[in-house]
Amino acid sequence: MNSSVGKTNDPQRSRIVAISPDDGSAIDLRNPVLAAALSWAVPGLGQMYQGRTTKGGLFMVAILSTFVFGLWLGGGKVVHASWADQPAGRRGILKLLIQPYVCQAAAGLVALPAVFQAARLDGPARQPAMLGGGLIPVGFMAPPLAPGQYVSRAYADRLTRYDPDIKADDFFDKPPLKQFRRDQLALWHRQLGRLFEIGTLYTMLAGMLNLLVIYDAWAGPLGPSEEERKRRTAAESAASSAAADPVS
Amino acid sequence: MLATTTLTLTTLVAMSPWLFETPLLGSLAGRVPGIFFGLPLVALASLIFAATHHEDPAQIRLATVHWTVWLGGMLGMVLAAVLLLGWLQ
Repeated sequence: MNSSVGKTNDPQRSRIVAISPDDGSAIDLRNPVLAAALSWAVPGLGQMYQGRTTKGGLFMVAILSTFVFGLWLGGGKVVHASWADQPAGRRGILKLLIQPYVCQAAAGLVALPAVFQAARLDGPARQPAMLGGGLIPVGFMAPPLAPGQYVSRAYADRLTRYDPDIKADDFFDKPPLKQFRRDQLALWHRQLGRLFEIGTLYTMLAGMLNLLVIYDAWAGPLGPSEEERKRRTAAESAASSAAADPVS
Repeated sequence: MLATTTLTLTTLVAMSPWLFETPLLGSLAGRVPGIFFGLPLVALASLIFAATHHEDPAQIRLATVHWTVWLGGMLGMVLAAVLLLGWLQ
């Protein structure tokens, strides 16, 4: 971390600054924790809070457009969070860690509706919220139904009506709910083919790269490697020696 | 500029669900070779890596090109090796 604590003219307040690796100037990090949190919430917002608007805008456009593009490629289905039917204990934790959502969540608030939808589906409502005023018939970022999962009758009817691969026979009638017999994730893979995996990859990568952005907001630029610094120092020494003794 | 950028991106993200069911998706699946979906990811990773190592826009551009060449070159060599092995079998 190329940062140091410096004293300003105001003795009551100390600044946290980072050193720019390009020109050695100081970068005022303001409140690094807040900046990191803002960069998680909206990629690049933390940098904008610090006054680094060009970098912030660059991060915002690059990461959000990658995330949205991946979401579009995957038909809006690649970002979902589901912890239903996870085995407890160590195996459960391991299974949780290999869920794509662990990476997608790092992209910030854009991925948050998935948690909300998963909570709605696993909770008393037994159906995801119809975000978008019902324009998205089967729920934006709704988790896929696992075999044996219980859902509300209204949601089962919507799925039967709007999803061409789901029929009324795919549900057992378990009043007041219905139980899904198939694996909806497998259906999505079949519907979208390789685009489902490519969309998942795009959204996961957007999230993982945002971790670098969050670190940049917290600690400033990472700076050149040790090797690069030594090379620059050696080059500067050679240049100053040549300037001091031009004859030899 | 900040307000415009934020508003544009927020609108884009909010509208994105309505963009999903488009005929273009179906044609994309069949026509675009998979490798071309990887190129924007290489560019993105290079850009973010460069931007988190530098502060000056000119240095960021230079480093982006540097990392794109390195990443693309390494992945290209891996692809060439895999294709060669497949051809030899």
